[in-house]
Amino acid sequence: MRWKTWFGVIEKTNDEVKLVKSRDFVESFLNSSNDPNTLPIPFSIKDVGLSLFKNEKEYYATLRDLAIKLTEEKIKQELSKDDKYVIMLLKTLDALNEVINVLSEKLRDLKNIKITDICSELDSRINDLTKLRKNVELEIKKIMERIAPNLTNIVGASIAARLLEKAGSLEKLAKMPASTIQLLGAEKSLYKAISRIKKGKPAKIPKHGVIFQHPFIRFLPKRKRGKMARFLASKIAIAVKLDYFSCEKRLDLFKVIKNKYESLRRL
Amino acid sequence: MDKFKIIRKIMHNVYLAKIDNTSIIVTKSKYSSHYGERKILEYREWVASRSKLAAMLLNGHYININPSWRILYLGAASGTTVSHLSDIVEHGYIYAIEISPKPFLKFLSLAKERPNIIPILEDASKPWKYSGIVEKVDFVYQDIAQKNQIEIFLENVKLFLKRGGQGLIMVKARSIDSTEEPQKVFRQVIKELESKLNILKHGDLEPYHKDHIFVHVQN
Repeated sequence: MRWKTWFGVIEKTNDEVKLVKSRDFVESFLNSSNDPNTLPIPFSIKDVGLSLFKNEKEYYATLRDLAIKLTEEKIKQELSKDDKYVIMLLKTLDALNEVINVLSEKLRDLKNIKITDICSELDSRINDLTKLRKNVELEIKKIMERIAPNLTNIVGASIAARLLEKAGSLEKLAKMPASTIQLLGAEKSLYKAISRIKKGKPAKIPKHGVIFQHPFIRFLPKRKRGKMARFLASKIAIAVKLDYFSCEKRLDLFKVIKNKYESLRRL
Repeated sequence: MDKFKIIRKIMHNVYLAKIDNTSIIVTKSKYSSHYGERKILEYREWVASRSKLAAMLLNGHYININPSWRILYLGAASGTTVSHLSDIVEHGYIYAIEISPKPFLKFLSLAKERPNIIPILEDASKPWKYSGIVEKVDFVYQDIAQKNQIEIFLENVKLFLKRGGQGLIMVKARSIDSTEEPQKVFRQVIKELESKLNILKHGDLEPYHKDHIFVHVQN
């Protein structure tokens, strides 16, 4: 049996335990995962590792310094990138959609006139792009579930990512009031309505922005959508705050929303 | 200063106290406040509504944590409970596991201040990832609101808890099954734990935490 630890590699044959000290503790710390089938290790790794250090105190001090340093780096890495990455992915997805649509249209026009090799080449390129689009969607879903599990749970990955894009970052979204979230993506019609109100003209104030895509709003009759949008936005605000400030997953939020939807539908 | 009085000692560095006639738990600490709790003389208030372990102690369920124990703490979050455990295990060490980077950033400031905390940013449901870092421990504490939290706990116990070592798990009914009656969920959980470990005690955390129980076990 052979196990990797933060201070080196331990090898056990029958009753003999051999330890090979790591040349670089940083490297061995980052690479200290073991195959689950070889676990549990039948002794405490500290008892073996102690031989490399002057005393117990030094063992712990070395381990702690490493853990703090590497955890800090890991946190910075994970925090700085993910929400920006999702936003860029979403923009890429939009561009892909546009390109695929335009190219498909051109392909159809071409085929109507003359069927040539170019048509089949174009066809296969479009297919590749469609596959790429699928992968981008999956990646967005994967990351959204990690950085905003509660939000993704109640609105789905695509709306969640869209809200994130409109807000600019997870932090900004977490600090938004529900009323702003409700109208994210409806800025144009909101400002139009405001300017009309200022002029004393009749105005249509938008009830929902991006969240309109949510089936619980879309499938309701028009007069009930505002009520549902307001409710959904307030729960989204709670979910994002949970995602950003805590790490707890609250499964009951979705249930509350579903109940509200059903009671509105029945009315 | 409000009327503050130590009533009695619960375990090493942990006291039951009274402030303005309300009972509170405090830990003796040479460090300052970490999460906005009150610091009275050399004591830090252990806020029961923030920490499930404090709620358990305040409800009269005492456990005896030895000041030289090695502890594996699953779900350290921003370090509310860990800060007090760190006051208790003055001669021991705490391996703190947390998956979420955001709260752990705050935790790191605690870990830097206290020499007995070893922070590990990993997923507690994949304990093999830190199997080369964590030694065999005397105590496993878990506070993770996850559907498969019992499975995660048992897996960690299997890999890291010494024979005869103790464990404490905070179970949230709503995250295991949000539709089922909490009492039913708890019975199920206790049955599952019983098949692998000895159960020493269990009880609820009302009124501080709704639909939660603690289960104290021994390997």
